[in-house]
Amino acid sequence: MFELNKTFTYQRFVLLWGQIEEFLILIGNLGKDFVDVIKRILSLEINLNETIEQSKRFAYDSLPISLTIVSMTSAIIAMQLAPELARQGGADYTGMLSALVMVRELAAVMSAFAIISMVGASFASEIASMAVTEQISAMKVLKVDPIAYLFVPRFIAGALFMPVVFIVSGFCGLVCAGLVSNWCADLSLLNYFTSLWHGLYIRDIFIALLKSSFFGATIALISSSCGYSAHGGAKEVGLATTKAVVSSFLAIAMWDFIFASVFYL
Amino acid sequence: MTLEVKNLTKIFDNKKVLDNVSFKVENGQTLGVVGFSGSGKSTLLKIISGILEKDSGEIILPNNSEVAMAFQYSALFDFLDVYDNIAFPLVERKEFRGKYSKDEITKIVSQKLQMVGLEGIEEKFPSELSGGMQKRVGFARAIVTNPNVILYDEPTSGLDPVTSTMIEDYIVRLKRELNASCVVVTHQLSTIRRAVDYVIMLYQGKIVFDGKVEDFLNNKNEYARQFVTASIQGPMNIIGK
Repeated sequence: MFELNKTFTYQRFVLLWGQIEEFLILIGNLGKDFVDVIKRILSLEINLNETIEQSKRFAYDSLPISLTIVSMTSAIIAMQLAPELARQGGADYTGMLSALVMVRELAAVMSAFAIISMVGASFASEIASMAVTEQISAMKVLKVDPIAYLFVPRFIAGALFMPVVFIVSGFCGLVCAGLVSNWCADLSLLNYFTSLWHGLYIRDIFIALLKSSFFGATIALISSSCGYSAHGGAKEVGLATTKAVVSSFLAIAMWDFIFASVFYL
Repeated sequence: MTLEVKNLTKIFDNKKVLDNVSFKVENGQTLGVVGFSGSGKSTLLKIISGILEKDSGEIILPNNSEVAMAFQYSALFDFLDVYDNIAFPLVERKEFRGKYSKDEITKIVSQKLQMVGLEGIEEKFPSELSGGMQKRVGFARAIVTNPNVILYDEPTSGLDPVTSTMIEDYIVRLKRELNASCVVVTHQLSTIRRAVDYVIMLYQGKIVFDGKVEDFLNNKNEYARQFVTASIQGPMNIIGK
């Protein structure tokens, strides 16, 4: 029995160590890739056509899912919040609270989650399948820099267009919350939108835009990096995609905590 | 252009995949590299082409040399059509950016496609092509920058005998037309017979045969004999591999 437990503990330790090692490798790769990307951007090694193509994927292709998720979330919050506030005599605060919640947190975070599942996963699987089918090796032999061709356009697209997705989805979210408040708590739309302005601060909007930009760049970098480090066969493509999605979710949660601590504590 | 490899060593996970490998490929000659799976053949090509770093040794090439590689599974960019695949280095490579006009690129692409016997397939995607055609598009992409050294990684694997013969003919033809030095990694005896000038054989990362094609095929070396006769008995232990 003791022998069995000892073996079991050892196996768990090995497994845990494997996971720690994998995490450290991921952090190392991310750091290296980030430095490489910044070097390329500073030396203006920017492929404009690819950047436009990737921006289209970020801003346009992901918009329906981002809009749906943010709008649904804001509608649900309004559905919970508006009747309760109306009962407590604070219906006029619905707009303000919705604006605070949406602009400071939900629009950016929910859009990021939508983009991770839609764009990040596709970046990771695409680059991973290029890696396992030697397309990236072919790129190197043809003396085309894979970092400049694959990473930089995605990184720039993420940093520039995630804020655009945030603005559009945040706006739609606030409109949805207004409509739902009107439907659930008979709050007049005029009252909702008047109160909404009280919850909108320029500072919050700027912080949210900056945060979205960080989110976008992070998703692009993690997805590309996880895909790039894939090797082996089809199974590795799936593993790289999973790793990219999970790591991106964790990174977004971490960034959100850092932003909240720095700007709102 | 002469390619010289001196004392090349590569270690993966404490195992020497290449152990002091040295050879020379003279201008206009083709070296065949043979050996069982896992003997270090593909690693050798990857180091010469710059995909992998060497641990020690030297790869000597003149300064202005251009190395190209045709991959085992073609490695065509599946998101680009044939035209864009072949034009890729001319468009995306830093030193060529803006050097060629659209018309010039179109002309070069169609000339390279003609050299590998494929015309009018510029708009097709790799998934629409047969294995043999993909290999030839891979060749066309490899030679688009007029390389002095061409590396072929198992160019005939997975192809039927007739298509293999055609591919072997293209290897000979491209070498002649570009006056390039070539290295062909292969398992196929037909490729060695038809497309190669001399052979090295690798076993456990070391060269165990280095000589002419005739000597390789005529069983003058016990390692070569085992490979050519496809025998389990011999100096190479392939059972526990």
